[in-house]
Amino acid sequence: MMPSVFYEPPQSFKIGDPADFAFGPPTFLADEKIYVFRDREKGFAAASAICTHLGCTVSHFQSDGKFHCPCHGSVFAADGSVIHGPAPRALQWFEVTEARDGQLQIDKDKIVPPSYRLMV
Amino acid sequence: MNFARDIWRSIFRRDPLLTDKGKSELVFLNVWLHIHPAKVKTENMRFKHTFYLGFITFFLFVVLVTTGIALMFYYRPYPPHAYQDMKDLEYVVFLGSFLRGMHRWAAHGMVICVFLHMCRVFYTASYKKPRQFNWVIGVLLLLLTLGLSFTGYLLPWDQLAFWAITVGTNIGSYAPIVGGQVREILLGGHSVGEAGLLRFYVLHVAVLPSAVILLTIVHFWRVRKDGGLSRPIWKLKPKKQEELVTIGAPPVTAAVNAVVASPQKTYGLMEVVTGKPIFETISPEEEDEAVFSYPYAFFREAIALLATVVGVMLMSLLFRAPLEELANPAKTPNPAKAPWYFLGLQELVSHSALLGGVVAPTLMVLALLVIPYFDRSPSRRPIDRKWAIWLFTIFVAANLILIVVGTFFRGPGWALVPPWVHVTGAVE
Repeated sequence: MMPSVFYEPPQSFKIGDPADFAFGPPTFLADEKIYVFRDREKGFAAASAICTHLGCTVSHFQSDGKFHCPCHGSVFAADGSVIHGPAPRALQWFEVTEARDGQLQIDKDKIVPPSYRLMV
Repeated sequence: MNFARDIWRSIFRRDPLLTDKGKSELVFLNVWLHIHPAKVKTENMRFKHTFYLGFITFFLFVVLVTTGIALMFYYRPYPPHAYQDMKDLEYVVFLGSFLRGMHRWAAHGMVICVFLHMCRVFYTASYKKPRQFNWVIGVLLLLLTLGLSFTGYLLPWDQLAFWAITVGTNIGSYAPIVGGQVREILLGGHSVGEAGLLRFYVLHVAVLPSAVILLTIVHFWRVRKDGGLSRPIWKLKPKKQEELVTIGAPPVTAAVNAVVASPQKTYGLMEVVTGKPIFETISPEEEDEAVFSYPYAFFREAIALLATVVGVMLMSLLFRAPLEELANPAKTPNPAKAPWYFLGLQELVSHSALLGGVVAPTLMVLALLVIPYFDRSPSRRPIDRKWAIWLFTIFVAANLILIVVGTFFRGPGWALVPPWVHVTGAVE
């Protein structure tokens, strides 16, 4: 019943050079559904943009720094924790590492605490 | 022209329709018509008894199969092509938009008519002994209808389709233990993608329609075997109630004398059954109230069929089936709404995915399934079943309210909005 091979994007992938990412508002990677944050003092972090309720894509609002889900009104704080709505769990944060070629690499199989940052 | 007559007589082996024998043979010598009795009670043909909802539902299914097969000629269930084929149907294929509209409105109509049919059967208590299991089959057909609607919803591969299915399959993943696996098996992967589209397509055009056809055959067969339609509510008299209690053959008490068959007999008798049959039949004193199915019942069914087809055609002439932009997994429309018949469910889910999306619907379906086994009183008169009627009415009202709230009172971010914003536009 389950396919033997999944023709789906890999769980671990490179997202580009650190210099490609601006400070300030997060970069949204549409295909991977990930928000990449870059902070001047703390470094890189990657948050899942998939709502833990029913899988809609959350939007990060620059105005309040929170994540808003359009489907059922869940709101997540800047650290991904649920502050409003039906979502049962916080948004996931993924491990960001620097690959040997200097590119940033994200592994969706490695869940990290919201405080995790990669300093380049 | 004996030759032509021979061919005609080889196909139509019945007597001419001028005689009662011919009218009877038309029904029971024809494989398609013999699901009817040769004679029907006039009271059962009254519109206000059934509103012909079962027939209309079946006719809508016929429309759906016909238009669905036509649509299959133009549709490829693969993401790069699926949406393109929708555009072709809308703008290139001759009458393609009309065809798609008919399929869509017939599908909506079928959901409504199945539900109304269930309400009619409940309020007339037509699920009571011996018809309990046919009610169960009816509930299964309701679920299959919803399953067909749900699987069909993904096929256009537009934003509406993509996000309705994303939300819908995620609701399923909240089911304890099996939830995650059910979603992955349904989608053939971890998110809505090409494998999921193919699986939904196969379910929609092959698996679920076959199941509906098989169960519909059983459903019709049992109606016929249970003595046709149930007696209209207004014909029920207290005396009839007692008769209903005693249906089923009582044990044989009198001695049975064997009778030697005449050697000239032209018939075979398979078995002698004592007592009343397990179903209602036309008793000799009711013979006057019955008429031949041909032409009286068939004519009414033909009118219902015509009205159904004309209604669906009118709807698709007046209202086009919507098609949003190409599915975009990165951008969720706001608000993202499921099809209207699932908006009650989505409203529940917006409060709690497990309770609203899994527990409540499961309990609702179970409650529907066991109704005929819990409501054991043989009386079908409304006055004797006030509690049942109240409970069912609350069930129907709750569903309608949830759907209305989800459809009209929910705006961006699933926030409560007054219903007129859908007409006037949201105030910024």
